[in-house]
Amino acid sequence: MGSQIQPEEEDEVSELLAVVLDTSFNSALIKEKNVGQLLDAVVIFSNAHLMNSSKNTLAVVACHPHTAKMIYPVKKDSIQNIRPPDAQMEILAHATQVIRDGIKEVVTSWQGVYSIEPLLTGGMALALCYIAKRMANTVGKLNGRILVLSSSGESAHQYLNFMNVFFAAQRKAIVVDSCVIQNDCGLLQQGADITGGNYLKAPSIAGLLEYLLWVFLPPKSLRAKLVLPKPDVVDYRTACFCHRNLIEVGYVCSVCLSIFCQFAPICSTCQTHFKFIGFKQSMVKKKEQKSLQAPLL
Amino acid sequence: MTVGIQYRDLISYLRTLESAVLNQLYKHPATCLAIFRRLPPLARQYVIRLLHIRQAVPQAVINSWYDPEAARDHTSSEDALLSLRLWHETTLPGGLPGWQLNPTFQEMLRQALAGGGDPWIVYGELDKDKHGRDTKFLDQYAQERWDCVLHYMVGSEVNSESGISQDAVRILLHSGLMKKEDDSPNSKNLITMEGFQFLLMDTEDQVWYFILQYLSTVETRGVSLVDCLQFIFQLSFLTLGKDYSIKGVSENLLVFLQHLREFGLVYQRKRKSGRFYPTRLAIGLASGLKELQATKDEQGYIIVETNYRVYAYTDSPLQVALLSLFCELLYRFPNLLVAVLTRESVRQALKGGITSNQITHFLKSRSHRVVLEREEGIIPMTVTDQLRLWELERDRFKFGESVLYSQFQTTGDFEMLRNYARDIGVLKYENPQKRFLVVSKSGDAEVRQFWKRHKKDYD
Repeated sequence: MGSQIQPEEEDEVSELLAVVLDTSFNSALIKEKNVGQLLDAVVIFSNAHLMNSSKNTLAVVACHPHTAKMIYPVKKDSIQNIRPPDAQMEILAHATQVIRDGIKEVVTSWQGVYSIEPLLTGGMALALCYIAKRMANTVGKLNGRILVLSSSGESAHQYLNFMNVFFAAQRKAIVVDSCVIQNDCGLLQQGADITGGNYLKAPSIAGLLEYLLWVFLPPKSLRAKLVLPKPDVVDYRTACFCHRNLIEVGYVCSVCLSIFCQFAPICSTCQTHFKFIGFKQSMVKKKEQKSLQAPLL
Repeated sequence: MTVGIQYRDLISYLRTLESAVLNQLYKHPATCLAIFRRLPPLARQYVIRLLHIRQAVPQAVINSWYDPEAARDHTSSEDALLSLRLWHETTLPGGLPGWQLNPTFQEMLRQALAGGGDPWIVYGELDKDKHGRDTKFLDQYAQERWDCVLHYMVGSEVNSESGISQDAVRILLHSGLMKKEDDSPNSKNLITMEGFQFLLMDTEDQVWYFILQYLSTVETRGVSLVDCLQFIFQLSFLTLGKDYSIKGVSENLLVFLQHLREFGLVYQRKRKSGRFYPTRLAIGLASGLKELQATKDEQGYIIVETNYRVYAYTDSPLQVALLSLFCELLYRFPNLLVAVLTRESVRQALKGGITSNQITHFLKSRSHRVVLEREEGIIPMTVTDQLRLWELERDRFKFGESVLYSQFQTTGDFEMLRNYARDIGVLKYENPQKRFLVVSKSGDAEVRQFWKRHKKDYD
């Protein structure tokens, strides 16, 4: 007894990792035929999480332009029917099989074009709900975290949804990590900053698994003991409500705090009329400088 | 405490094995997984990161992975990996010191993670079992079988069909949990004090202890220890409520399987049915899942009151025997037992090597659900404190080796030596009237030297 190898108390907490996978890959990935490699990396990473401790659990959500779907765990594929053909651990073989089938199902059910944004926020909300449900049903402590894996770059159209998800996660102390491939996503970076997660841009697919295992596998308690990449300056630009452009300086409605990239006399959100004494050039300029043109955050 | 049984967990057990045995063990993914999961978190992170690197990595690189403030965790992780021979030191071509993972371990863990290699022997194809068993049935079965062993130990009457085999009895005797009453061949087996301590442990700890004892006798039966351990580790990674094939299992291991079946670690409908179901006892064995029991709706039955009275709603002779270890029984009703914790009864238990912690743990883990939500704690504080005090009062003496100096010729000699011993802080006791003093063993040499030097000067 009393051996120093005994796992420490903090390790006894169960970890639930929800991987939110963007399956609408960007065109560069598809052109270079790297998608298979990316999926392999995701599966191995998920398995590594399950392997780490018998208390760890996993959820995988696939986000496609038309749907966000929970692909692991699912009810219909029972572990009872799996007989691993090689030396892989049973539960991992099962997870691998289910995740692969799930991705295939989601991807083949979409006939549209790929230039449309995937429903990332929908997937994240799904993952959040699942984690919250599991937390409520678990006796003892359960640490939940989300890893978003995306290659489709900025998705300013879902700005409000993103923020709702991030603040909900922050309230529940759920860490939202993001790993983006090739294209930066400022919103995910903000999310990682808000919830205390890590944000990393993987420059290529080849080293993706290495990055995942290094930065995103360790639970929160272990991260403090590791040297991890320092976060860059967080891009805190917001999307305007009128054109969904990311802006640094814009117009803010003094009543409902909606943000616009162009001046509008009537706020489109709360219908407030901004009254002016005439439209003299000088007045507008003055007004802009004084109250409407407020730097954000 | 010198009396009492030595309980070892998985890692400390493996450390006692020889390196050749360890290397044999690492030839199966299940063992590697079981060990991997018991490593400290930081060590696990190192292994995962090194898993796909098939060459030595400079120590400087690994040293750059952890935060300087976590240096202690790093050292303990390094030690853990080293002592289990999971990695070893090498020198890189450039002369830099490096770490390299044990290649067998690395390959097997990689297979467990990502696939490849030969399937585990129990993964054979099976058609659907028409006598399929569900989790509840398996839990009940495991509990019944295991209770059988415990019942046998306390000597409560058991009917003939649920008795335990000669083999199990032999293990109980071998491990010192039970002993023969006398040397005659027909003598009854009696439970020892170690046995009672064993009974107070949690079920999963009991199973692990028992299996360790079993393994230490396994070589004499001509079954290889490595095979058995590998099999046990495989069992612990299987799924509860699923059936597995025994087609590829060797003759020797089948015997082992039958023993496991007897203790309730696996379930087989018939000896020749070609399939088996692992139970919670087997799955909890090496996977490190402590709270397996918590999910079971096992009914607590003990209420402890502030007046040291213990009420136990039970009719099981096993439970009664356990309580009578440290309680004085007052009344017995068909479903209720009233007992009281007294100084005498507790001291009796303490003398037998049971600790107060074991008693409180026992009472706590089996407490009735009405007291589980009680604000002042499951067991009243007065009771736990008193138990602790009763234990401490047996520890009033502290024994340490010392040396007695006596028969000083003059008071001057005595005082000089005493002052010296006091100054260097080794004096334990002095008696100026009778001119003797006691010095601790560690200070003896110094004091003696001083005396000799003094004598020389004096002469």
